[in-house]
Amino acid sequence: MSCVNPLDAAVLADYWLGALAGAEEEGVELHLLDCDECGGRLREVMALAEEVRKIAREGSLRMVVSDGIIERAVGEGLRVRQYAPPAGGGVECTVTAEDDLLIGRLAADLSGARRVDLCICDERGVEQLRLADIAVHSGAGEVVYQESMTFAKASPSMKMIARLVGFDEAGVERLLGEYTFNHTRSLPGPGAW
Amino acid sequence: MGSSLHIKYVVMDIELKDAELVLQIGSGGGREAEAELFRRMASRIRLYGLRHLRDEQAAEDLTQQVMITTLEALRAGRLREPERLASFVLGTCRMTVLDMRRGAQRKERLLEQFGADLLAPVQPSLPQLDHEQLTRCVQNLKERERTVVVMTFYDEQTGADVARLLGVSEANVRVIRHRAIHQLRECMGAAA
Repeated sequence: MSCVNPLDAAVLADYWLGALAGAEEEGVELHLLDCDECGGRLREVMALAEEVRKIAREGSLRMVVSDGIIERAVGEGLRVRQYAPPAGGGVECTVTAEDDLLIGRLAADLSGARRVDLCICDERGVEQLRLADIAVHSGAGEVVYQESMTFAKASPSMKMIARLVGFDEAGVERLLGEYTFNHTRSLPGPGAW
Repeated sequence: MGSSLHIKYVVMDIELKDAELVLQIGSGGGREAEAELFRRMASRIRLYGLRHLRDEQAAEDLTQQVMITTLEALRAGRLREPERLASFVLGTCRMTVLDMRRGAQRKERLLEQFGADLLAPVQPSLPQLDHEQLTRCVQNLKERERTVVVMTFYDEQTGADVARLLGVSEANVRVIRHRAIHQLRECMGAAA
């Protein structure tokens, strides 16, 4: 039997997260106790949440993270390798087989920036990847970037430049900081992508 | 379970609504109607249990206790409006969760009374997702969406916490989260 008033997957996610107000939650629960189709959709959302959790633990995503995410990873026994090169400077870095997450802490004054992009550049400074409009608080004072551990473990020795750029109200772009990571391969083999 | 009993279940699934099963049980309709109602309701109650108790075994215990209480009430004809079964079960779920949290245990005695075969565990049935495909889907989200999704599902931050950390409104976080979930489902080939 097809549900005549199906619950949206995002609302079901809110329900699973405990993010619905009392009356709305009660409405969802009454519906779920009467509807296997929406129950099936909730199971899909639960599976999605569980799988995202596994993906996050793998450290394979390139993304901006919070300190809370790092603290949780450490609490779960994951090994987190962190580097904090100064703005305009560089740092020697590597990864080992035991590392789970690779973090770069990029200190910068983000105030006044309406939008912040993180650009990943090669050793010549040529942009290879841009994370546009990253999720950062303008008062944070730093961007916490997670490099893909899959990428890093496969990487040969190389230099990578991270560049933070901000956009003001008028949309004018300005450099907020540039950070050089001098990666030395310490894993066996030559490394290749 | 014999094949003839299985055939009856299928027929009941097609022909009888929940309310009709309630009436059958109330009029002494027997074990088949009870088993069919259990089959339908157990997985739904289990979802409620997983949501509120976050533990598979506890959700299983909740399912059994709620079904026992529900069948007791139906046998005794205490549910006067059969179409309000979901409401009755929801109320029972809430009370039972409170009981469980207070550590009340009467499961063994009731299992003996109702029989373990009727109350056999319903196994979890979360769909299997293509891990590599979902990894690509998450990586393809916009930056804010990816961060919000990971903060929410991995770090288990509330919308208010995420909003505070990112310097945006809680409503904005909800919009970002909803958009991300829809995009992930679409990327994985599911309907919204």
